[in-house]
Amino acid sequence: MKKDNVTTWTFLLAALCLLTLPAQALAGEVYKIGLSLAITGPTSDAGNPYAKGVEDYFKYVNDTKMLGDDTIDCMIRDDQYKNDVTKRNFEDFLDQGIVFYLNYSTGSTLALKKDFEEERMPVLPASFHAGNLVDSHYIFLPIASYSAQMIGLTEYVVKHNKGGKPKVAMFIHPSAFGRGPVEDVQKAVAAGLDVEIVEVVEHGKDLDNTAMLKRLSEKGVQYVLCHTVQSPVATMLKDASSLGLVATSFGEEGKITFLGAHYTGGNDLVALAGDSAENFYWTTSYIVTSEPGEGTDMQLALAQRYNRDEKAANSHNYANGMMVAQVVTEIIKRAKSKGKEINKETLYEELLDMNGANAFSPKTTVGDVTFSESDHQGVDTLQLYVVKNGTFASEGSPFTPEYTSKIQ
Amino acid sequence: MSSNRWLATGNYFTSYKEEQRIFTTSLDRSVMGVFLCVLFSWPLFFSIGNKYMLVVDNILVAVIAVIGLNLVTGFAGLISIGHAAFVGIGAYTVASFCRVLGDSHPLITHGWPPMIVAAGCMGALFGAVVGLPALRLKHLYLAIATLSFQMIFQWTINFMDFFDQGQTISVGRVFWVTGEVARNEHYLFWYYVILTVIVILGFGVRNLLRTRYGRCLVAVRDNDRAADAMGMHPGLVKVYAFGLAGFCAGVAGALHAYLYRGVGIDSFTLYHSINYLAMAIVGGLGTLQGAFWGPLAIRVLDLQVERLSEWAGSHVTAATNLTTALRPLSFGLVIVLFLMFEPRGIANWWRIFKSYVKLWPFRY
Repeated sequence: MKKDNVTTWTFLLAALCLLTLPAQALAGEVYKIGLSLAITGPTSDAGNPYAKGVEDYFKYVNDTKMLGDDTIDCMIRDDQYKNDVTKRNFEDFLDQGIVFYLNYSTGSTLALKKDFEEERMPVLPASFHAGNLVDSHYIFLPIASYSAQMIGLTEYVVKHNKGGKPKVAMFIHPSAFGRGPVEDVQKAVAAGLDVEIVEVVEHGKDLDNTAMLKRLSEKGVQYVLCHTVQSPVATMLKDASSLGLVATSFGEEGKITFLGAHYTGGNDLVALAGDSAENFYWTTSYIVTSEPGEGTDMQLALAQRYNRDEKAANSHNYANGMMVAQVVTEIIKRAKSKGKEINKETLYEELLDMNGANAFSPKTTVGDVTFSESDHQGVDTLQLYVVKNGTFASEGSPFTPEYTSKIQ
Repeated sequence: MSSNRWLATGNYFTSYKEEQRIFTTSLDRSVMGVFLCVLFSWPLFFSIGNKYMLVVDNILVAVIAVIGLNLVTGFAGLISIGHAAFVGIGAYTVASFCRVLGDSHPLITHGWPPMIVAAGCMGALFGAVVGLPALRLKHLYLAIATLSFQMIFQWTINFMDFFDQGQTISVGRVFWVTGEVARNEHYLFWYYVILTVIVILGFGVRNLLRTRYGRCLVAVRDNDRAADAMGMHPGLVKVYAFGLAGFCAGVAGALHAYLYRGVGIDSFTLYHSINYLAMAIVGGLGTLQGAFWGPLAIRVLDLQVERLSEWAGSHVTAATNLTTALRPLSFGLVIVLFLMFEPRGIANWWRIFKSYVKLWPFRY
C-alpha cells in the first residue's frame, strides 16, 4: 500500500514537471523597471497623470506583445514628494533587480545622484533641471531643460517686444526646482540677451498676489516668466485679470504678458484659471491634444484603451509619462534586436547610441529624442503655445534656444 | 523581596539604593542581555534587503531623537515643537564640514565618530540657547518659542547659499577598520553604529535619572516652585533639559546625514517635529521605554498608511486629495486616541504586560 502511494506521487510529480517545463521555456523574460513619484502630496496633480501614462504604455507594450514574449514589469511607488521616501523606494527597486529607473522630482534626483553613479543605473527623471546633469553620467533629461525653456521664452520676448529693452520678472517655485533656471537666465543676459530682469519672485502659498502684481506693474514690468506649477500661476493670472493687467495681445503696452515653462501650463491651468488664462504663453517639448496629430491620437487612444478619464487623457503630463515609457521600450527593443542581454549596462549603451540615424521619434514630442555621451538632453526643440478661446494653440514653429549653448 | 533574586515575583525595596538599581531583578538583567544579543546578532542570520534595513535604521535614528525629546518634554515637562530643527542642526553641522572641506575629506569619512559627537555638542549649544526663554516663559508661550526656532531654522537653510538653499548636500562614504564601507554593507554598518549609540544613550539616560541631575528634571516638571524651595534653579534646569535634548537630537541628525549620505531641509521640517512629538506621546511621555515604542509604532503606522494612500491614489483619481490627507489624518487620530484613552502611551501597556508575566499564574 505504502509502495503504491509512493509510485503514484512520483508519477504525479513527474507529470506536473512535464506540464510546467514547456510553459516555463515558452515564457519570456520579465524586465523590471522602477518609478518613484508623487501620486499623493505636493505636485501630485502632475504626478498622477504622469504615473498613469507610464503604467498604460507599459501595459500596452505587454498586451500587444511589442517585445514578443518578454514583458515589462514597472513597479510604481508613491513617494509623496519626499526625498527620504524616494531613497527607500529606490533601494526597494534595487533589491528587486531593476534594469532601469524612472524618477520624478528635482530634489530627489539631486539627492540620489551619487547612488545612480555608484549603481551605474540609467535614469530618466520627470525633472528637467539642468543641474541634474552636472557630475552625472547616468541621468538623462527627456526634453529640453527648464533653463532652456526659460531662456527660450526670454529669447521670444526679446524678439517680439516692440521698442526698447523689455523688462521682465521671474515668478518661481521656492525650491531647487524653481530656482534652477534663474542663474542660467541671468547668465544668458550677461552673455548678451538684451533684457532687464527687474525682480525674481519666489512665491509662497499666497492666495492673493495683488500687492506683488501692483509692485511689478509700478516697476514697469512687461513680462512675467513663470517657472512653477499650475496653481500659483492660476492664482496670479486671476488676480492680474481682476486688476486689468493681463495683456490681450503679446507685449500690449501698459499691461503684463504672462509666459511659463512646462509645469505651469496644460489643461489644468485653463481649468484652474478659467478666462484669466487667455493669452498665456507656454512652452514645452510635448504636443498637446488641442493640436491633433499622430502622437496625440496615439495618446488619446491609449488613455481610452485603459479607461482613463478625459482629464488624464488630455494631460501633457500623461504624454510626459507615456514618452519616457516609449523611450525605455525602444531601448529594450534595440538591445534585443542586437542580441544583447537586457540589463542596466546594455540599456545605458543603447541610450547613448540614440542619436543621428538612431534618433527616436516618439510622436508625442515636437522633435526627436537624441542622447549621446555629451548630450543627455532628449528633445532639444520646444514649441510655444498660447491660450486662445480656452485651449492651447501652437504659436509659430518648434524652436531651439540659441543662448543655451552660449552660456555653457 | 525574595532572597533569591531569580525568584522575585514583585519589587519590594528595603533601601533607596535598591530602588535605584537599573535592573530590579536578575531576570530583568538577563532578559535585557539576551535582548541586546538578539538585536546585535539577528542581521547575521536574516537578510531583509536594503529597503527594510533602511526602515529599521530610520526607526533607530528616530529613537535617539525621541530619547532627547522625552527628556525635555516627558521628564522636564517642557513642550518642544521644534525638535526636528535640533536634529537638523546636527545634520547641518556635518553638512557644513562637507561644504567647507569637501564631502570626501578624511575628517568626514574617517573622523565620523568625533563628527557625530561634535554634531551632538552643536545641538546641545543650540538647545541651550533656544531654552533660554524658558527662564521667563512657560507652557504654551515656551512651545511658541520652540516653534519660532523651527521656522527660523527652515527659513535660514532655505535661503542661505552656503546650505545650498535646502537642496541635498552630499556626505561621503565612511571608512571603518576594514576600509571603505561599501554600498552593499552601508545600511548594516549604520545599523550597528546607531544601535551602539542607542545602547550608550539609553544607559546614559537611565543612569542620569538615578542622579540628582536627572531627578531635578522631574522635580521641576512636577512643581517648579517646590523645586526652587528645595534649592534647585528651575530656569537653569530647563535650559539644561533643552541642552540635553539638543545633544540627542544633534547626534540623531548626524547619524541621519551619514545614513542617507546627504542632508536636505525636507527631512527637518515642522511636519517632522510634530512627528517626533507624536512618537513621544504614543510611546509614553516620561518613560525611557516610550522613546523606543513610539518611533516603532509611528513609523510602522506611517508605512501602512503610505501603502493605503498609494493604493487609493493609483486606483481612484478623485481620491488624490483624500489620500494626500490620509497621513496627517491618521497621525492626528492616533495622537487624540492615545491622549484620550492611554495618555501613558504604549509604555504603560508594556508595564501591564510585564507585571502580568511577573505575577503569572496569579492575578495579583
